Amino acid sequence: MEVPLFFTRVSVDYPGKPGVLKNVALDINAGEIVGLVGQSGSGKSTLALAALQLLRAKGVQASGRIDFQGRDLLRLPENEMRQIRGRDIGLVLQSPLASLNPALRIGAQLREAWEAHARGTDAEWQAHVRELLESVSLPSDAAFLRRYPRELSVGLAQRVLIASAIMHRPALLLADEPTSALDAITQDEILELFARLSRLRRMAMLYISHDLASVASLCHRTAILHQGEIVEFEETSRIFSHPSHPYTRRLVGTLHLGDREFA
Amino acid sequence: MTRTMARAILVLTFLAAILAPWIAPRAYDHQYRQAVNASPSSQFPLGADNLGRDRLSRLLEGARVSLLLAPAAAALAVLLAAIVGILSAYLGGVWDRLIMGAVDLLLALPWLFLLLAVRAVLPLNVAPRLSVTLTFLLLGALGWAAPARVVRAQVRALLDSDFLLQARALGISPARVLTRQLPPNVAPVLLAQFCVSVPAFVLAEASLGLLGLGVSEPLPSLGSLLRDLESLPALHASLFQQAPMEMAAMLAPAAFLVLVICSFQLAFPQQEICS
Repeated sequence: MEVPLFFTRVSVDYPGKPGVLKNVALDINAGEIVGLVGQSGSGKSTLALAALQLLRAKGVQASGRIDFQGRDLLRLPENEMRQIRGRDIGLVLQSPLASLNPALRIGAQLREAWEAHARGTDAEWQAHVRELLESVSLPSDAAFLRRYPRELSVGLAQRVLIASAIMHRPALLLADEPTSALDAITQDEILELFARLSRLRRMAMLYISHDLASVASLCHRTAILHQGEIVEFEETSRIFSHPSHPYTRRLVGTLHLGDREFA
Repeated sequence: MTRTMARAILVLTFLAAILAPWIAPRAYDHQYRQAVNASPSSQFPLGADNLGRDRLSRLLEGARVSLLLAPAAAALAVLLAAIVGILSAYLGGVWDRLIMGAVDLLLALPWLFLLLAVRAVLPLNVAPRLSVTLTFLLLGALGWAAPARVVRAQVRALLDSDFLLQARALGISPARVLTRQLPPNVAPVLLAQFCVSVPAFVLAEASLGLLGLGVSEPLPSLGSLLRDLESLPALHASLFQQAPMEMAAMLAPAAFLVLVICSFQLAFPQQEICS
């Protein structure tokens, strides 16, 4: 299952707001973590949601191609797309507590995610969820599974969310600002978790963030998104050492300024 | 403190309503011809009405009719509201506008006249038990519009929520979203609407009963018991010449109604009801 994802000339127009994405081209290889950096409103989340065809409900127009394992995701019918969501492509959203169903227990939510693509006995489920929770460093005892999201810290909630996203061992994980709601230490732990999961499972990952420092520490290659266009897509080290686009230079400049201040 | 008291009163009144046939001192429909318009006494604690029936037994039976059927009507109204509200929000677009337009139309009609008109179309001369069922069925069938709007607003907010987006991103089917992910989040709103509807329906039945269109004789309800107050000035030249005991006895159904409605409003936290 090489070359999970290709974006080719992808453009997205919202009703009344054309050009949210303009001719975006991006590729992610197996086991690779690609960073996508841009300001708020530059279209980062739109790119992730377009890949899962989760934009369609709002009357959005998407054109171009998004190739995933030999199929164009933008042209797949809804029922085939549903088979891909969660099973082949996982998504982790920004605010962990808002992304968990407040009225369902953790165990029930994870089980819902499992049953979306799998059938099995209680024993099989128990074994699966124990292994899954251990892989994201969460307790797997019955007491934890009986808790409600409001009883979890943000960090724990984010791990639960990641656990449900990687439940079916997807080839690709889309993480939309997964650490922006977390404190520095928790953020560090989650980044470490992403790196480990990607390495162990050879899972490709699109890491969307406006936080350059986390991108620098996690991503193999980095794309800079500016006003709906990818202005630069390079090895992460090269982006930081030789930024070519003026916008990238400004971004990297702020990072160095920050470094000097805290050094 | 107030809430605990209100809840205690509700529990007691509902217990009294349920146990009415067993704790009532007399049969609610037996006419004691020698006791027509009798004053309160040890024999008739609240006196007897103009047909010689024991007022206390009638009040207990009336409470039973009103307090058991109002929740049933509220359950029906909330069920209809849930179906209409969820469907409207989920279908969205033209369907949403059509359904909500119909709801607004229904809300714009003066409900008392609507109830009167619909009740008047139905046969008036029916068995007492049937008239009770009919009255509250009507209240439930016409009372869903306002809760439907609240449910629809809540579901619309939920459909835009991150957790339903996440659920869809996990590949969870729309059917599963509608049956498993959504309902537990709508339930608190339904419960609140139920709690608001019960006292509203008790009052609505009382209004209908006062106009003689509610529950039919000899079965009492809080509404038809209030009707007895109409004959009060006719019986005596002046209200104020009544013996105080007798006054209190005659006003007992009204006082009981006020007590129950107030307890309902106080028993549940306001923010839950308003949400």
